[in-house]
Amino acid sequence: MKFIKKTIPLLIVFVVGVLSLISYYVPHKTSVNFIELMSKWENIVSAFAFLLGLISLFFSHYHKISRKVDGWGYSIFVFIGFFAIIIPAILNHGKSMTAAGPTSLGWAYSSIYTALSGTMFAVLAFYIVSTAYRSFRIKSKQAFVLFVAAFVLILGKVPLGQIIWTSVLGWTHVTVSTVIDWIMTVPAVAGKRGIMIGIAIGAIVTSFKIIFGIERQYLGKD
Amino acid sequence: MIKNKAICTLVLSIFTAGAVFAAKPVPAAKKTPPPASVAAISGFTAADMPYDVGGAALLRWPVNPADTPDTVYTVYTSTLASGGWVKADEFAASANIGKDVDMPFWAWDGSAGEHALKVELNSFFGEVPPEASYHFRISSSEKGKLAAESLPVEMTTKGNWFRLDRLNNLVLLVVIIIVFFWAVSHAKRKGLFIRRIAGLDAIEEAIGRATEMGKPIFYLTGTQPMSTISTIASTLILGEVAKKVAQYDSYIKIPHYDPIVMTVCKEVVKQSYMEAGRPDSYREDHNFFVSQDQFSYAASVDGMLEREKPAAVFFMGYFSAEALLLAEVGATNGAIQIAGTDAEGQLPFFFTACDYTLIGEELYAAGAYLSGEPMLKSALKVQDFGKLVVMLSVFFGIIAVAIGAKMHWDSLVHVILNMFKAY
Repeated sequence: MKFIKKTIPLLIVFVVGVLSLISYYVPHKTSVNFIELMSKWENIVSAFAFLLGLISLFFSHYHKISRKVDGWGYSIFVFIGFFAIIIPAILNHGKSMTAAGPTSLGWAYSSIYTALSGTMFAVLAFYIVSTAYRSFRIKSKQAFVLFVAAFVLILGKVPLGQIIWTSVLGWTHVTVSTVIDWIMTVPAVAGKRGIMIGIAIGAIVTSFKIIFGIERQYLGKD
Repeated sequence: MIKNKAICTLVLSIFTAGAVFAAKPVPAAKKTPPPASVAAISGFTAADMPYDVGGAALLRWPVNPADTPDTVYTVYTSTLASGGWVKADEFAASANIGKDVDMPFWAWDGSAGEHALKVELNSFFGEVPPEASYHFRISSSEKGKLAAESLPVEMTTKGNWFRLDRLNNLVLLVVIIIVFFWAVSHAKRKGLFIRRIAGLDAIEEAIGRATEMGKPIFYLTGTQPMSTISTIASTLILGEVAKKVAQYDSYIKIPHYDPIVMTVCKEVVKQSYMEAGRPDSYREDHNFFVSQDQFSYAASVDGMLEREKPAAVFFMGYFSAEALLLAEVGATNGAIQIAGTDAEGQLPFFFTACDYTLIGEELYAAGAYLSGEPMLKSALKVQDFGKLVVMLSVFFGIIAVAIGAKMHWDSLVHVILNMFKAY
């Protein structure tokens, strides 16, 4: 049993992992075909898994409605939204546009889905304001540095700020855009690169742990 | 009357004469002599492009010292030995010089005295079959006038088995693998010291708080598929978090963006409950699918955070624009929030909206840190080694390149830059 539950999965992970790793150094058509095959398999598994996700979604919201838990009314909209898109999609054979103009699916997409997504994205602007307010409360030396950098950036991005800078610090002959450029290209990029290098090394090591079977938590314990 | 007739006759005569002269054939324009036979471009070769899948040709020929800034080279290709020529490229004589080819010194011996041009065959002939033959010829012209032409040459495509230009990458990989196995074997012999990570130490505190308050814990695995490292790391952390949740008899909810991640997480959480000795507390609806659309997912989870007011929220994985939408709602509802992401663009939002944030690599290290297993912790030492290599390389690389540039040691600068470049 351990052979089936542990050894075979580890072997599959090792073989596929090593072959995928090697394919980075092997440009041959065989290698390209292998990666394409893996990608196809992933898509097939994703398609079946999506079905599982859909069932999970429906059951979860069905239980909320049947048990009348807090906010159960919102769950009704999951079904309404689902049918508002799926029924036009079936009726129009998946086509959102014909020579005569947009189909009901096209209308549902642009008038329901796109409108709701746009609304949600627009909310982000308000959250950025409240987050900015929180980050501008200077509680430490690091927060002060963050505040100064952000303040200069905001100052430089609005015409009024540029006028203030010129009238107060014009004698230095350093323009606010020069300061902004320096902040964005020197300390910001340096910090970002440091994080990216750490991420890259971490990703390599995590991959090795999985390929060589050091990390087995995803398989469960014996 | 007679005078009038005479005038008419004269006018008619003039017009008639004009018409007659006009009808006379114009003497043939002086014919331009046929162009003298154009000069030949010698040394033109075509070969399979090295280190590729076998869909490109590499053309090389010597630079002609007589070329002027007006000289233009035109490259033709065909599947036939004669005829069927297709124009593949056209460029000034100063372009496509051998030394400018973007390949490292160990894989390319191009010089300033030759032209080198890569021709992607599938751009002209669709999919390139293996071992297919193609013909090439080039011509040069001065201000639109043909100046020189080469004889057609033939090449055969072939798939290559090794990217020699990525040798530097391979060497680094081998070194890291050696260090990796050394660290693992070292970990078996004796334990390793790992510095404390505040964000991970706070996990227990967050779960304890949720237990005391009788509120749920939310764990978000990000919006990337199971194949990404950040999601894998997130599921490993989830295993440890779920184990503690089971021990404390608290309740965890994991809304998912990806159905495959949901399936894996179900197994992980079930396993954790079993390891904690609480299989009876495990419920199938710990994990549930929400949506595979970014903003639908954010809207739904925001709604849950708003209604259920969880005591703790974990954001572990890759997040995009939804990061702030989620974290800000959690913060305004007073939850302890611990985030970990390798999306460097979202880190500032997590820093401001969350109590603790794991930066990039700490996310990958978290699973090993929480599990406490020496074998897994040893991998953290490999990460440290990698960072040491990078730091030393950057430090000495900067000094060497600066000295090389100052002393005009172009070869040294070229070698160093090639060694640290990704191809």
